[in-house]
Amino acid sequence: MSSGTESDVSPDVWDGEIEREIGHDEYDPIGTLGLIAIYFVIIALLWIFMYFVEFLGRGPTVV
Amino acid sequence: MGLFVDDYPDEAWVVRAALASSFLALLIGGLMGTIQALHRTGFLQVIENSTYYTVLTLHGVSLVILFTIFFLVGFYQWAITDSLQRPSENIRLTKAWYGLMVLGTLMASIAILGGFTDVTDMSADVLFTFYAPLEAHPLFYLGLATFIIGTWVAGFDWFRSWWAWRKDNPGERTPLRTFMVLTTMLMWYLATIGVAVAVIFFLLPWSLGLVDSVNALLTRTLFWFFGHPVVYFWLMPVYMMWYVILPKLSGGRLFSDPLARIVFVLFLILSVPTGIHHQYLDPGIAEGFKYLAMTNTMFLLLPSLLTAFTVVASMEHGARQRGGTGYFRWLTALPWDKPAFTGMALAGLMFAAAGFSGMVNAGMNLNYLVHNTMWVPGHFHLTVGTAVALTFMAVTYWFLPQITGNKVFSKRLGLWQVVLWFVGMVFMANAMHRVGLGGEPRRTADPFYDGVVFDTALGSISELHFQIALGGVLLTVSLLMFIAHVALTWFDVANRSTPEPEVLPPALSGPEHAPAVLENLRLWTGIAIVLIVLTYTLPLASIISSSGFFGQAGTIVAGMLDLVITVAQPLLEVGP
Amino acid sequence: MEIHRYEKLWFVVSMLLIIGFIATITYGAVGAGIQMVDDEGGTVDPDNIGDYEIRDGVTFEDLQEPQAQHVEGNEYEVAIQAIQFAFIPNPVEVPENSEVTMYITSPDVIHGYKLAGTNVNTMVIPGEMTEITVEFDEPGEYGAVCNEFCGAGHEEMEGILRVVPEDEWEGDA
Ligand code: HEM
Ligand SMILES: [Cu+2]
Ligand SMILES: [Cu+2]
Repeated sequence: MSSGTESDVSPDVWDGEIEREIGHDEYDPIGTLGLIAIYFVIIALLWIFMYFVEFLGRGPTVV
Repeated sequence: MGLFVDDYPDEAWVVRAALASSFLALLIGGLMGTIQALHRTGFLQVIENSTYYTVLTLHGVSLVILFTIFFLVGFYQWAITDSLQRPSENIRLTKAWYGLMVLGTLMASIAILGGFTDVTDMSADVLFTFYAPLEAHPLFYLGLATFIIGTWVAGFDWFRSWWAWRKDNPGERTPLRTFMVLTTMLMWYLATIGVAVAVIFFLLPWSLGLVDSVNALLTRTLFWFFGHPVVYFWLMPVYMMWYVILPKLSGGRLFSDPLARIVFVLFLILSVPTGIHHQYLDPGIAEGFKYLAMTNTMFLLLPSLLTAFTVVASMEHGARQRGGTGYFRWLTALPWDKPAFTGMALAGLMFAAAGFSGMVNAGMNLNYLVHNTMWVPGHFHLTVGTAVALTFMAVTYWFLPQITGNKVFSKRLGLWQVVLWFVGMVFMANAMHRVGLGGEPRRTADPFYDGVVFDTALGSISELHFQIALGGVLLTVSLLMFIAHVALTWFDVANRSTPEPEVLPPALSGPEHAPAVLENLRLWTGIAIVLIVLTYTLPLASIISSSGFFGQAGTIVAGMLDLVITVAQPLLEVGP
Repeated sequence: MEIHRYEKLWFVVSMLLIIGFIATITYGAVGAGIQMVDDEGGTVDPDNIGDYEIRDGVTFEDLQEPQAQHVEGNEYEVAIQAIQFAFIPNPVEVPENSEVTMYITSPDVIHGYKLAGTNVNTMVIPGEMTEITVEFDEPGEYGAVCNEFCGAGHEEMEGILRVVPEDEWEGDA
């Protein structure tokens, strides 16, 4: 047997601070989805700003 | 199962030695950074402008070659030994590769340090990219080659452990950490071909006077063949920490083991065929090749974007298991009092910001705006200077007890240290980006010109320079705190009780859900090689066929090789 | 393999983001007509830069003058040598409303050439001829810096490019 993420040691070895065990199927990372959606919006807007305002908006440029 | 240091004392010795080397490099390199930040903003110029470049070479080499790679080999040795649950097949070999890396480091360092004194005319003021025809003392190139050979042997050592493990455990899935180590090293073998060829066939013979010129574009292209994937060599251990250790620290479990493996396979496949994105503004390379490198680079965003999701989801899982609720309120249930957690989370946040400036760098024509301006150091102080460096420092607070058997000196000190690094970097990197947009060049001792002014939006250039200097000072304080903290723990000044062994929890969706084909490392390496051949054969052929191996001002040797090329011309002309 | 549906969603969104980036850049290249520095300039013997043939009968040396040379219409040409630690000639003058092809190369080590505050930015590599075309629509003065480390003295390496109003232009037209 090997230790690490791969092992099937019993949960109480690592779950010192855990109040409630949540399995894969009962878990929806809704907060993560929200955070990552915000990130997406920021990135997309910044990209448009950098490309069309900062870059194309200034000259001269190599053509 | 006990502490790593008790179970594997010999391996722990090598891990500790590698980490000590890494931290020494961090200290030296970091102090050079302080000098730079104050010098180039004009606040404190204690050195000559010409010495600035020796300092900058030392900064670059110490931090992105020595600090990162010594940390990597130490950490990976632990990962292999601990996840396969077996000692080194031959500890003498393990010590030997560490020894080789140290030897190489000493050689290169002597050459660089020679630049500080007039006693010898030895020097290597060529920065960490050593673009020819800037020339370093041969010892610099030799040292570099020796160091890299050391890492190759390390990889071999780890493969050997895996082969032996497989024999004893037929049919079992490779443990996740081992899988990550192996894919990283396969990527590294492919990546280092470029720099090995550049150093062994061109730069070393040239610096020894055996040939009298080099093809500047060729050696530069070979450097970047290596120079981009080396970025992933810094990053892949960090990803391992984010995938394997961060969920545990958050009180949860890795969301998906198969996805983690897919991400590492994507890195193996896509890291090398992107190097030309550092050469978007180089003459001598056709636009088509640049476009191809750009698309590859953009797709290389994918594994990082996927990682962002999985890692945050694993943290959220931990937070919810610890009682967190709500859409975002669970964030407060995370263990922000643990320096290892907080440091890694802040590093991840910085990496998200770095993702943005990286996308801009990758933007081919958009690169006209930022290429070789301060924007670029602004970007990579977020990536390697924070996402990597801060994660390494944070993980040290978790890792050091495992390999020394001593508890960390003070949680609170650790917490202040990681937060200070983050704050320092917010100031320094943000201001660097902005002066860069104003056009201020990087790698310049004293960017104050007679006839050039840099216009910056929102804030004057001198305000931004102040922020760079301030950030630099905060970073220095944080750095010194870190080094002191490591020393206090290492020598167990507080004389604390022995730490508990750490057990890493299994993933929520385990390796048994991964398709078996993921284990087929030959297949992935094969695909990586095909992609490299597709992206690099034509550009290299066209560079060599137009200027020869050793440039236009060729020698007799070069002349002979040119002859070979002329004969082979029809084959190469299939190209553009 | 179990992949959570949010993760699948993020995968799709990530792909869209990547394709969006590639599309923007392609638009910049094709729609806005921004060309990359490429291999058009070919190679050059770093020991004999002056002899490099720009086209029949015109050499690098002929164009290495403080004022851009007229070709036809609004097209001009100028050649600049980047050398430790100066740009030669300096300053360089071009007329307003011109389309200037710049030939830049180096006899010694790698340099850079960037006009501060603009998108004119290129590497200068010994053995390679950088050939870029730039439209200068308005009069003004731009500072040029070398933005690649080229040896002790690199921080001194600067130049000026002046865009002269049409009625003050004294070069050939
Ligand atoms: C005390 C903390 C640090 C300070 C104050 C600092 C400061 C600086 C400054 C001001 C520059 C720009 C020099 C120039 O282009 O003229 C620079 C360059 C650089 N820094 Fe840092 N830095 C720090 C930490 C780091 C860390 C932790 C890393 C990586 C792990 C790093 C990697 C680099 C690299 C690769 C360069 C570019 C070198 C080159 O252009 O050849 N720095 N640093
Ligand atoms: Cu890169
Ligand atoms: Cu320079």
